[in-house]
Amino acid sequence: MMKKLWGFLVIAVLFFTLIWVWTSKVENSLGYPEFISGGALFFIIFLLCLFNMRKRLPFLPIWSAHKWFLFHSVAGFLALSLFWLHAGVLWPKGLYVQILSLLFYGATLSGIVGLIMEKVYPNLLTRIGSEFIYERIPREIAEIRNKAENLVLECTEKTGSDTLAQHYLETLGWFFQRPRFFLNNIFGGQNSQTWVKEQCSILERFLNEAERRYLEQIFALAETKRKIDYHYSLQTMLKTWLLVHVPLAAAVMTMVVWHLIVIQVFFN
Amino acid sequence: MTKTTQSRPQRWAQPFGSDMTDADVERLLNIPEIKAIDAEKFPLRIPLAGILRNDSRIMRYKSGDIVIREGDYGNSAFLILNGTLRIVLAPGLPGEMLGRKKIQKKNFWQVLKQLWAHKKSPEFRDVKQYNQKAGLRPSAEPGSTHVFLQDVPAILDSNRTADIHEGSLFGELAALGRTPRTSTVFAETDAELLEIRWQGLREFRKYDQGWRRLIDQRYRQNALKAHLGATSIFSHLDDNELQEIADNTLFETYGTFDWHHSYIKMQGHDRIEGVKDEPIITEEGAYPDGILMVRVGFARVSVERGNGRQTITYLGAGDFYGADELYRAWKGEMNVGLKVTITALGYVEILRVPTKTIEKHLFSYWDSGKRGGTRGGKPVQGSQRRMQDFFEQTLAEGALQEWAVQERFVNGTQAMLINLDRCVRCDDCVRACAATHEGNPSFVRHGKTFQNWMVANACMHCADPVCMIGCPTGAIHRSMSGGMVVINDYTCIGCETCAISCPYSNIRMVPIRDEDGEHILDQQNHQPIIKATKCDLCADQITGPACAFACPHDALKRVDFRDVTWGRDMEA
Repeated sequence: MMKKLWGFLVIAVLFFTLIWVWTSKVENSLGYPEFISGGALFFIIFLLCLFNMRKRLPFLPIWSAHKWFLFHSVAGFLALSLFWLHAGVLWPKGLYVQILSLLFYGATLSGIVGLIMEKVYPNLLTRIGSEFIYERIPREIAEIRNKAENLVLECTEKTGSDTLAQHYLETLGWFFQRPRFFLNNIFGGQNSQTWVKEQCSILERFLNEAERRYLEQIFALAETKRKIDYHYSLQTMLKTWLLVHVPLAAAVMTMVVWHLIVIQVFFN
Repeated sequence: MTKTTQSRPQRWAQPFGSDMTDADVERLLNIPEIKAIDAEKFPLRIPLAGILRNDSRIMRYKSGDIVIREGDYGNSAFLILNGTLRIVLAPGLPGEMLGRKKIQKKNFWQVLKQLWAHKKSPEFRDVKQYNQKAGLRPSAEPGSTHVFLQDVPAILDSNRTADIHEGSLFGELAALGRTPRTSTVFAETDAELLEIRWQGLREFRKYDQGWRRLIDQRYRQNALKAHLGATSIFSHLDDNELQEIADNTLFETYGTFDWHHSYIKMQGHDRIEGVKDEPIITEEGAYPDGILMVRVGFARVSVERGNGRQTITYLGAGDFYGADELYRAWKGEMNVGLKVTITALGYVEILRVPTKTIEKHLFSYWDSGKRGGTRGGKPVQGSQRRMQDFFEQTLAEGALQEWAVQERFVNGTQAMLINLDRCVRCDDCVRACAATHEGNPSFVRHGKTFQNWMVANACMHCADPVCMIGCPTGAIHRSMSGGMVVINDYTCIGCETCAISCPYSNIRMVPIRDEDGEHILDQQNHQPIIKATKCDLCADQITGPACAFACPHDALKRVDFRDVTWGRDMEA
């Protein structure tokens, strides 16, 4: 993998150097270096967009998805470098190009965030120790909730005490209702673990031996639910960042095409 | 408290044939091949009549019906009661004629066509195609449905065949040795056959000298010499020497043929207990009395660690153990004992080549200065090096290997191994699978995990494909071209034998649908028709397995566990 990555990096650096030298020469001869840097940038953005197309055609023997991914990651940074070379400044003037720049920066930033998430999150998900299929998570949560509620009812019936039931209604019920601690989870926080422990320990001293056995079972369910929540949060991020990145990239491509048409019209 | 009870299951609780009568057994006892057996030699708990009644069945074939197909895995042998059968000699019949699936790589245009050729309904099937391509002779009993040859005279004209008559036994080597059938046999005339499942055959061989002599002789003549000649340590020997080794080699079997049933039952049970229950082939410290060669199946190699046993590696078909210890003893070293315990993982067939034979044909050759050339062969040097490496590994280093052996994933030649530290759970692999299989993904991205590794529920195309045992039409078979296990949808009758047998739950039964998405129903009982589906390793795709090709993070790999170098190499 590293071999391929280094290969793409070397090609990217060479490509950028070539364009940079070329634009410098054209600039020195009082030409229009923006045509060269702009053309190169358009070419790279076009190649970047092809990755999404490739994903929809998995049966075509045109590079493996992994190769495309490495290329896409390297080409993304190359595009950013070419963008700065083309614009000459970090934030250009004029409304149209400012909107274009905003979209471009948005697509780039979302891409970088996505890349970081894709490198960090899988490891965090593995360390949780359980695997959950994203689409099945609502069902898993519903099953756990039912089990917890049945335990609470059974506890009340068998022990004749409603302390556990009251506490469940006041606090734990909220936790079992749906995925919780989303924001904390995506930043790798442990709030849910602390919260579950706290809620159970608060209650413990008000329970007798029989009730405690029910609480232990509910705690075990809460632990599983906590793991599911963690998976839900991280998998949601892994699945949804593309919903930001891809539309932004599509908008960039559209505006770039219009930008090219306008340049051609006015230049001619 | 009430306790659940049941009568203890007995060996013959489920007879092979459900309609064997006393009259049938009586008739069988009077045919010459059975009459020659001394019934007195059989123990009281396994009488000859009991074997005939419970471990055999009478099968009737019409002219043209295929009895066994080349490449099939079977668990039974056949004795011809009446009629004439034909055995097809090399090069054999074309795959399609045998009810095999014809696998052809798609061209670029066909690949591209997949983009818009998807049917809207899942598991869509064109019923008209079934009628044209199935070639099945239906029967009231699903297990008795046969694939038949359309034009027997033409086949006899265009193929080399030999006839086999009343009283002949065939299929016994594949049944006992768990190896693919080497030839196709079909009925030339209407025929009646006694099909004996491997358990019965094993008893015949065990208690009757005549049957034992016949089976062993055939094995030594037909298969053993070739097998020995193919191993690296005996590759330098000529035909006569190989024959001498073959004559002296002892056959041993360990474990149960139907290991997958007990494996499925053992799921979720105490693994340590499971290891203790494995039949011991040889024990640590024991004096080596020959080289142990694995012919069929897998064996666990373990050493004592603390109060338990650590699995250090495993032996598969073609691997052997004991040469080093024997050689050291031959050179005069005292008290050379085996360094490991070898136990059977499921069903294992062992060839034990006695010390004397090894000393004569191998050690003298090694000592003549050609040792390096011979022992440098891959199996010896490779396995020895592996063995030594594994002796020194820590418990943590060997944990993954131990897990793979314990879960029998070592059986897989194309297991779907996912590195969870890289997998972003994007399901691109599932989508790619669906895109290349008309919208029907043939695996589930979920499975057993250990540390950061997951073996997903996708067909592993096993070295020992137990799913193929018992398929009545041979619909599930090993492709002759690529070696992958594939299902011919046209000849699959939905009997679920393969899905039940698969120890890894990697075969799914799906109800098939018409163009409108409605279930296709059985004309007689109006129940949905089901078919077995599983990963076919994208045999017809240019890219190879679409799942691995579509993984952007290189997290998913199709691996042969025998080739996997555990640890860092797998991360690369």
